[in-house]
Amino acid sequence: MKNLFSKPVALSFACTVGFAAAQAPAVTPAGDPVAGGKRAVAVCSGCHGVIGSKTAFPEVYAVPKIGGQQSGYIYAALKAYKSGERNNQTMKGLATALSDKDMRDVAAYYAADGGQGK
Amino acid sequence: MKLSKLNTLAIIAASVAATATFTASASSISGNVEAGKSKAATCLACHGEGGGKPIAPEYPILAGQHPDYILAALQQYKSGKRKNASMNGFAAALKTQDMKDLAVYFAAQPSPLRSKY
Repeated sequence: MKNLFSKPVALSFACTVGFAAAQAPAVTPAGDPVAGGKRAVAVCSGCHGVIGSKTAFPEVYAVPKIGGQQSGYIYAALKAYKSGERNNQTMKGLATALSDKDMRDVAAYYAADGGQGK
Repeated sequence: MKLSKLNTLAIIAASVAATATFTASASSISGNVEAGKSKAATCLACHGEGGGKPIAPEYPILAGQHPDYILAALQQYKSGKRKNASMNGFAAALKTQDMKDLAVYFAAQPSPLRSKY
């Protein structure tokens, strides 16, 4: 039993971590698309699920299409809104209410759904 | 005579302004797809062919995105409101017309993106 974490396993784990670290931001977040779907319907779809939605004054433009978008990008965007690095009042408010798991789930939902809708 | 000329000018100016406002609200951006294609080489290095196949998971798909959203993002990168080391640098080199051309080019590319869900 003690040999469970044998040297080769430990080494390959270290290599994997090392590889991931070398590619630092390029990580596809693991998330639960089913849980994310429930969150997304409640939080996101009021704007992102309505065709023709625009951002609020003063900068008015179409809210982006996110169905089918890359999960890594959606996750990074949500984190940036929550931290304030990315500046949009509406998205900051919504992202602040999301946990890290929520963000991963929502990202997985939009990426996996491919925007086909249900 | 002078006054009526001024009035005519004012009416023309007002109608031009009204047209411009209408165009903007209809989100038809005055960009050129072909010009955008020729300016997109730098973008494609990361965002992939037609902006539809990014080389890393944290880079967005641009193909099929709303053109006014792409334009706004580029303007925010140029102004520094939106921060990204790579994009701030690229956007700084773009003029407004370049951004419009890129926006309509990417919007016109085949895409997996959907606006509903």
